[in-house]
Amino acid sequence: MLFRPSELLTYTSDALPSYFKQPGLAVFPGTRDEVIAVVRELAVRKIPFVPRGAGTGLSGGALAEGVVLIGLNRLTRILSIDAENGFAVVEPGVVNVALTRAVTAHGLHYAPDPSSQAACTIGGNVAENAGGPHCLKYGVTTNHIVALRVLLPSGDIVNLGSVGGEHEGYDLVGAFVGSEGCFGIALEITVRLSRNPEQIRTLLADYLSLEQAAQTVSAIVATGIVPAALEMIDQATIRAVESSIYAAGYPTDAAAALLIEVDGAVAGLEHDVATVEALCKENGARTVRIARDDAERTRLWQGRKKAFGAMGRVAPHLVVQDAVVPRTKLPAILAEVSRIGERHGVRVCNVFHAGDGNLHPNIPYNGSDASETARVHEAMKDIMQACVAAGGTITGEHGVGLDKVSYMDLIFSPDSLATMCTLREVFDPDRRCNPGKVVPMHSCREWHGTPAARAASGSR
Amino acid sequence: MTTIATESAVSLRTRILDAAERGAHLRIVGRGTWLDANRPVANAEPLSTRDLSGITDYVPGDLTLTARAGTTFAELRAATEANRQWLALDPYGSDEGTLGATLATASAGPLRTYFGGPRDLTLGVEFVTGAGVIARGGGRVVKNVAGYDITRLMIGAWGTLGVITEVTVRLHARPAADESFAVDVDSQAGAGEVRTLLRRLPFKPYACEVVNGSLARALTGSAAAQALFRLGGNAEAVKAQRAALIELGTVRDVDPSVWARLRTIEPADAVVFRLSALPSSMDATWREATSIVASASNALVHATPALGIVRCIVPTADRDPTPVLAGLAGVKSTLIAERLPAGAWSGRGAIPDALSRRVKAAFDPNDRLNPGIFGGM
Repeated sequence: MLFRPSELLTYTSDALPSYFKQPGLAVFPGTRDEVIAVVRELAVRKIPFVPRGAGTGLSGGALAEGVVLIGLNRLTRILSIDAENGFAVVEPGVVNVALTRAVTAHGLHYAPDPSSQAACTIGGNVAENAGGPHCLKYGVTTNHIVALRVLLPSGDIVNLGSVGGEHEGYDLVGAFVGSEGCFGIALEITVRLSRNPEQIRTLLADYLSLEQAAQTVSAIVATGIVPAALEMIDQATIRAVESSIYAAGYPTDAAAALLIEVDGAVAGLEHDVATVEALCKENGARTVRIARDDAERTRLWQGRKKAFGAMGRVAPHLVVQDAVVPRTKLPAILAEVSRIGERHGVRVCNVFHAGDGNLHPNIPYNGSDASETARVHEAMKDIMQACVAAGGTITGEHGVGLDKVSYMDLIFSPDSLATMCTLREVFDPDRRCNPGKVVPMHSCREWHGTPAARAASGSR
Repeated sequence: MTTIATESAVSLRTRILDAAERGAHLRIVGRGTWLDANRPVANAEPLSTRDLSGITDYVPGDLTLTARAGTTFAELRAATEANRQWLALDPYGSDEGTLGATLATASAGPLRTYFGGPRDLTLGVEFVTGAGVIARGGGRVVKNVAGYDITRLMIGAWGTLGVITEVTVRLHARPAADESFAVDVDSQAGAGEVRTLLRRLPFKPYACEVVNGSLARALTGSAAAQALFRLGGNAEAVKAQRAALIELGTVRDVDPSVWARLRTIEPADAVVFRLSALPSSMDATWREATSIVASASNALVHATPALGIVRCIVPTADRDPTPVLAGLAGVKSTLIAERLPAGAWSGRGAIPDALSRRVKAAFDPNDRLNPGIFGGM
């Protein structure tokens, strides 16, 4: 247990450098029983708490202001692996990549692969419904969670979903995944494991215009080939990567590069690779490089996965943003994002999941410069509004947390937000679990307080 | 804008509020193609979503489509086929079935082996709760984690939390090749053997169903039990996949219409149920299912080996289903009833857990929607 301000300093922020909140105290239970004991004690005392995994979140979602922070990163046991059926049961603190490592010998892996996968935990992935480059083909976290043992804020334990066969009844696993730590703590998580592909081919195509790169994305998707990943990296990001220790050999004079991965059975795969290569060239790629071996493939991916770290060379702080637009709007929105950056005098680096239309406009800046910080925030606000106006959404995989609460009104009606509050109150009637996140407080009016609800339940 | 309620939702809310004033209960009806499977929805007025038809937004380049809940699969197919795309969801029943009903019942067919079910293909829904509140979850883009996932909550809720009014789904581009094949298998050991083969193959078929002799006879004219495969990808890949099936026996081409026939083969009076267990228990689940229906020689049985599910269709026109129903009492797998005689629903399917009951109370506090559809929740 930590309670001295100096000790708590580590836990005042997550991987988004915009928010700092000091927890009242932080506890780090070593077993599930200890977690249960802590939560039950907090329930008796009606004290709010915030669950936290590795603290790699990018939305301020695991910050605790004056309340109790429960660190789950000591719960690192893999409880069982059923290789034959492709399931594993894990504790919430198991690190994403550690799970994949543990099942590699069985020819399996855990598919969702956020860029922070070397540090982030499965529990945190469940809370955020985390994505990653390979979610284009394999789906996001919610497509890979089959059952959960959840500790409700009341201290009660419920089992959601089922492993053996189909589940009848409400999809409470679906409701829990992505609830951003507001519905309780997942003590045991049953994940679906995916078979390793027989072969993987990784391509890097570079372009003199962002637009051509975006057109290539649409052209590939239209063929029916679903690449395992389809990532776009813009010039600013390429240059940051290439001048860092993560240099991957991306051409620094390119306006954009596409990192494309195609995987599956050997038979027929080269045909898909050839189709993808031809489409890249038809749409203006200068060169298309195909990784010859695992080492080259790893290097190409390293540049992509460590891009956020590489931006540390550009400025001391970095906002990693997250928004989604319909794929056909990519060229227009990239141009708009660039205009927004210029307008506010900030530098936007784009590195993102182009196949999903999931943007990550990142802005390196100096957080000690108040004027620059303010301009970064204004630019982010404009980018969010532009994505919403294009028919998109404010977050594709990082979550709402604290950072995006104020944007929720842009995409959801007051009644929709109230309905989400209603669901939250089923799990957490006192709103003690991760308070103040996801849904703006003003939306959480009493359910029966709406005129429609009164009319509907008024007479029987 | 997603923040504004659709006209469909506003009109349905009016009807729900009107029912509330009269203290009436409502039974949600789409096209009525599925009837009610004799489920005990008692003393309820029909609330039709039939008028909620039509595609409201479809940009082929985005591979997403938004349609009103009453839109049929036939309409969706016509619109998407023109762009070499499809909604890779083939629930049992005819193409006159609706998108809304399919989501509400979480129905999926053979394509579930590769593409997953409604929970994997749905991006957003608009619905009206039993309390008359219009809400929308998710969005119109393929990736979205904004807000709690009230979208997945609606899928498989059987309309007991809200009436779905509009849906956004993810489409797939049609592959270059999509071909279907059949291989004769052993009537007892076949399902387990196919499951073992699937584990070894370096690809996943779009669909793979093992059908018993009666069903094979009806679908392909075969005298033996068969494994039916649907393989997709580029032509070279499909050719190689077909070659890999030779391990099971002689591979024959079958007309792709076999899948449509499988979806629509059940007579309206049939008893239909599924047994489900871990895929590794496929062999045992298949044997258990075939023993339960042994008294009905005309029973149509098919398994989805990748998922460990067996579906049994027992026509009752010329036979008393009592022995089959008696057999259901002692099953070891999870039993999911699709269609039973009216008297057999009592107590079955009721949701026992307190958390789900609290969800129900929060969304439909007066049990306005589809009361009793689970069999007595």
